Amino acid sequence: MTCVELQESLAEVEDGTTPEQRAHLRTCPACSALVNDLNLIINAAVGLQEAEEPSPRVWNSIETALKREGLIRPQKRAGSLAHSLFAGWTGRWLAPAAAMLLLSAALLVHNRMQTNTVSEQTAFTVPVPNPSDLNDNDLMQEVAENAPSMQAAYQANLQQVNESIRDAQAVVDESPNDEDARRSLLDAYQQKSMLFELAMDRSLP
Amino acid sequence: MLGKRYNINYLSRIPMVAAGKGDLTEPVDHTKSTERSDAEVIARAQHGDADAFRLLYEKHKRRVYSLCLRMTANTAEAEDLAQEAFLQLYRKIGTFRGESAFSTWLHRLSVNVVLMHLRKKSLPVVSLEENAPSGEDDSAKRDFGADDVALAGSIDRLQLQRAVDSLPPGYRMIFVLHDVEGYEHNEIARIAGCSVGNSKSQLHKARMKLRDLLKMNRAEKAGKSRAG
Repeated sequence: MTCVELQESLAEVEDGTTPEQRAHLRTCPACSALVNDLNLIINAAVGLQEAEEPSPRVWNSIETALKREGLIRPQKRAGSLAHSLFAGWTGRWLAPAAAMLLLSAALLVHNRMQTNTVSEQTAFTVPVPNPSDLNDNDLMQEVAENAPSMQAAYQANLQQVNESIRDAQAVVDESPNDEDARRSLLDAYQQKSMLFELAMDRSLP
Repeated sequence: MLGKRYNINYLSRIPMVAAGKGDLTEPVDHTKSTERSDAEVIARAQHGDADAFRLLYEKHKRRVYSLCLRMTANTAEAEDLAQEAFLQLYRKIGTFRGESAFSTWLHRLSVNVVLMHLRKKSLPVVSLEENAPSGEDDSAKRDFGADDVALAGSIDRLQLQRAVDSLPPGYRMIFVLHDVEGYEHNEIARIAGCSVGNSKSQLHKARMKLRDLLKMNRAEKAGKSRAG
């Protein structure tokens, strides 16, 4: 099997596990690297499944259309869970810690955009809360005390959201004016703030 | 204690899927837990409960929107399509009988919405060979004998997103359906109207093109680092 034949065969057997493929891969570093790279891409692709958060205007438009079409009726229970959730995101109980986290992210991102302008000096005079003040250990301790059965889920989510922040931050550092990267960074911080809110919710009597 | 430290007085329990993975609201109260189950929420939505509609949206919005965005590579179009997908869901939810998983039903519906949109735009959904600019299909062969830097390590999600967005539409469609959404080739062939062999071939070419794009990106980064 030649390199070209190997490559063509990957369309049918993508992991290179036929005897012919294996024989070629044992002796060809370039093709081995190719198969490894394709596997990396395949594995990373799953991470794109829920990677994006839609703008709030999507729901606003849906809700307007649902009302117009008469598909929804007003909710009966004033204190329902969903009402608490969705009224609350912009309301009085938005947890200070989560808000601080988002504020920090927004200010940090904003500051990075201003690095070459006069307004930079102004921006840096704003006291920026440090997101690290709200450390992950606090969150996990809160979960351990109030929702021990959810520790693993929180840990996994925390790890994922931290990775998202790290990825987005790296791109923002590299390209401070990149709109997509800044949006991704803010989205990631928003997700983290959500985790803090959920954990704090459990700490109430 | 976070709650005590920040003196939080008005928190409500949040039935929320945080960070896109799993319901993090512990079933403290079994009644509430039952209320939050998919079947319950769907049943409520089938009776026009506004809360239930919103809960379904919150639970599935990331997956649906991400699918739309990956397949169109356009934020405005993706928002419109996600909106259309959910509206169709709500219009048809009365017909959902639970034979298949609700999420599967919704994602198939979303894929159909996107495919319809692409067809209306006269974008070839499956006539993929023509979608790639001339010479791109030879990308793999170019690698051999060249200074071949492997993608060793891991792939940054944002870089992968951008690379996927840069794919020709036909390649992108097959890649998103198969590698991101987990469709089988026979399913893709059916919904996209192509042969199974065509689906496999185009998927392979899409991955090869992605590899090229990612390597190019890394080379550019390395060049900048050296220059800096």
